[in-house]
Amino acid sequence: MISKEGLWIVAEFEGTRIAPVTLQLLTKARAIAGSRPVAAVLMETPEADGEETLAQYGPDEIIVLQAEGFKDASDRALAAQLTQLIQAHQPNAVLFGATPAGRSLAPRVQDQLATGLTADCLDFYYEENELVQVKPSYGDNVMCEIVCPDRRPQMASVRPNTFAAQKAQGAARIERVPVSLTPDDSCVVQHTALKIAATTSLSGARKIIALGRGANKDAVVAGARQLAEKLGASVGVSRPLTDRPDFTAEQQIGQSGVTVSPDLILNLGVSGAVQYQVGMSGSKLVISANRDPKAPIMAQSDYTWTGDAGALVAALQELL
Amino acid sequence: MERQWTEPEQMLLRMAAKYTDTELAPHDLAMAHTNRYPDGLVEKLIKTGFLTVMLPEAYGGAGFGPEVTAAMIERIAKGSASVAATLEGHYKSVDAVLRFGTDALKKALLPQAASRILAFGMTESTGGSNPMGIQTTAKRVAGGWLLNGNKVMITNGGLAQVYCVLAKTGDQELSVFVVDQDMPGFAFGKREDFIGLRGTPVGEIFLTDVRVDDDHLLGRVGQGGHIGDVAHADARILMGAVLSGIMQHALSLAAKYANERTAGGTPIGQLQTIQRKLADIKISQETTHLLWERAAFAKAQGQPYAELAAMAKAHGSRAAVAACDDALQVYGGYGYSNDYPLAHLMLDARALEIAEGTVEKMRTAIALAELKKEEA
Amino acid sequence: MKIVVCIKQVPGSNRVKFDPITHNLVREGLAGRMNPFDENAIEAAVRLREQVGGEVILLSMGPDATKETLHDGLAMGADAAYLLSARAFAGSDTLATGYILAQAIRQIGGVDLTLFGRQAVDADTGQVGPIVATELDLPQATFASKIQPLAAGRLAVERDLGAVTQTVQLTLPAVVTVRAEANRPRYESPIAIQQSLHKPLTTWTDQDLTLDASRIGQAGSPTVVRKVFAPTPPTRAAKPLPEDPKAAAKALLDILQAQGLL
Repeated sequence: MISKEGLWIVAEFEGTRIAPVTLQLLTKARAIAGSRPVAAVLMETPEADGEETLAQYGPDEIIVLQAEGFKDASDRALAAQLTQLIQAHQPNAVLFGATPAGRSLAPRVQDQLATGLTADCLDFYYEENELVQVKPSYGDNVMCEIVCPDRRPQMASVRPNTFAAQKAQGAARIERVPVSLTPDDSCVVQHTALKIAATTSLSGARKIIALGRGANKDAVVAGARQLAEKLGASVGVSRPLTDRPDFTAEQQIGQSGVTVSPDLILNLGVSGAVQYQVGMSGSKLVISANRDPKAPIMAQSDYTWTGDAGALVAALQELL
Repeated sequence: MERQWTEPEQMLLRMAAKYTDTELAPHDLAMAHTNRYPDGLVEKLIKTGFLTVMLPEAYGGAGFGPEVTAAMIERIAKGSASVAATLEGHYKSVDAVLRFGTDALKKALLPQAASRILAFGMTESTGGSNPMGIQTTAKRVAGGWLLNGNKVMITNGGLAQVYCVLAKTGDQELSVFVVDQDMPGFAFGKREDFIGLRGTPVGEIFLTDVRVDDDHLLGRVGQGGHIGDVAHADARILMGAVLSGIMQHALSLAAKYANERTAGGTPIGQLQTIQRKLADIKISQETTHLLWERAAFAKAQGQPYAELAAMAKAHGSRAAVAACDDALQVYGGYGYSNDYPLAHLMLDARALEIAEGTVEKMRTAIALAELKKEEA
Repeated sequence: MKIVVCIKQVPGSNRVKFDPITHNLVREGLAGRMNPFDENAIEAAVRLREQVGGEVILLSMGPDATKETLHDGLAMGADAAYLLSARAFAGSDTLATGYILAQAIRQIGGVDLTLFGRQAVDADTGQVGPIVATELDLPQATFASKIQPLAAGRLAVERDLGAVTQTVQLTLPAVVTVRAEANRPRYESPIAIQQSLHKPLTTWTDQDLTLDASRIGQAGSPTVVRKVFAPTPPTRAAKPLPEDPKAAAKALLDILQAQGLL
């Protein structure tokens, strides 16, 4: 029996495994749900076994829909299926990862349910029965609190890597639901290819060495890259360094760039504009080196060092 | 107070700003290093339609007026003075054909001016600021003229396809003819290795028995000196705009640096010695802006503008060299390095103390105009 | 192919500050500009028209000043534009906006393809495209990085979905949202700028469309922005490491060691 008034997470696959954002959302949902049951909604092909992974992150229920047709199903077909399920069980809130897939599917469901949907949330919490959704606007320069007072469910997509995923005890109840998936000839997937760079993506990195204007010298960049290799870290940059030919916007942390939440971020010569800080605020350990002890990044760091980034890189290289 | 631009004028300036920041400014320093435009830059400039800006709609152009054209040149110069100078050379030559060309010539030539660059050749090795000293001749032949001579230091020389050429049609008689690079007897010479505006090609042409039809004469026989003066005046408005653009560029670099660079823990921008330099650059930039704007306004109103245009260039060129020097000083050692743009900005500005009439000649012209006003 | 491109005017800059006393938003640069991703959508539309013929129609909702952005789109090569502007539209969130746009697209009639930028850079939702597709019960291809016309009213669309790229075959009519990677938008040529003001630009109010009053404006918008504030990153201890670079490097590595990060 699927509980009413639940807090639902729509699970997403990344290749054959459950996407990290789904697990991050489960952890966060458990923390804020109060007495509401937390449920993961899983739409998968019969050979997949997403429920095993999901169960480790402590949902009360896993609603499993299995059908061959979920492989390459169109947004329209998925939305119809999900809408039906939501209408039947009336959850209090439905959350999606703010991934391309989640952001394509969620608004179609929203429109069919004629309810609200907040995009790209960085935080959410309950006040009584109202889900307060906190989202950035104007390129992360402004935060908005958005609520959906009169309609249900409350819906939001949540930015990946905003929360840490944590495994949790507890037996999840598996609820299998019959599927009525209508094939959609108007949108046919012909080809899917995994992008090569996807595995080394900054957003999933556990350790990051970030370079800013104060590290904008070829020798320092090269030294930092060597250091990153030894530490098993990825290299990210603040906005000024994206002008260099050896970095792209894909490596930019913060506003209109990538949000990161590594275990360690070492900021070298990054001054720490607000949009940068927002992009790395989820990091566990923050260490920053900057020539200016009053650079904004310093107050946002667990440990600081005042001096030339190149000198610290050189000293670290000697020791490693 | 800022001039109120019409909506299309605003759109033109927005487009030029975006184009400059995206397509031109990133290559400006490389132009100074390589003494040339990057491959494809001019083609893209033409494809985007920059040659059509002030060309009237009747000839397939966009028909923008002299004020917004100069304002656009200023904005482009803020990213690349070289590209601004190339457009200046084209616009002043198109202006000359528009004003003095026969109907037949205008109908034949101006529609091409949307995709072919025009240039104006005056200077020769024997005379630049002294037009009577030139040696290029045009001899009367049946139905046309036969041109012989060598023109040097032509802005866009080698890049442009059509040239207005100042030639002697008599001992003390100057006339201007339009020649095309495809005419028999036309040849290009060498490109100058100038110290500034190094993207802009400046080169020479050789004319050996180049025959042009009667309708390729601009204005009347003997009107060459006047046509040259008018073209100079048109060019000087745009050069004022180039100079004020260069100063905006230098000021923006210097102010950014002064915010970032610290001495003893404080940004150097907090030091009064640095502030004085920044203020002086800004004052020079604004005064030059006001001068070219006034000259362009007078031109648009059909009032005399040659003297104002001369002032824009005479004042602006020296002021811009000094302003870039100040900006260079703010930058310290980096300012003196060819790896940074300040040195080449100063040399870009320096070119305009010479090109289109030396500042000395400007001052003479301004003084003579003032003397004349007080003649009994 | 009859193509509608939905575009949005966004603030000229995302640099916003808060008035320290009133806590109101202070926006730098008053002038609006076209949402950059919408330029990619217009470019994609104009290229499709160049390939297969047809017309490109711009559609935007906003105050009268939005006409400037529509003129920009017309100067990029669109043939005509519609502005949806009415007091009744004020306060519309993504759901109400999507509904109004969809009703306008119905009214334009015979539309084969509706394009959007992938999202607007002010609110970053990317929701309106899929909402319009749903309203019109059309298939969609979001995050398109390549669009190729095929025979018999179909399109091949490459979608860049982050970790994977996917090629789908869409049957028209359909909705596509376009990524920046799809193309490099052309610059408005000076001549096209002059012509843009002479192209047809029609303003429709709520009276010109068939609308359910309960679905537009504030009444039709389920979401409420109840607070706007400046982001405050959490403060941390900022413990200084030793001054000497070598000593600092040693201390840093000790910290990593202690936290199991080496």
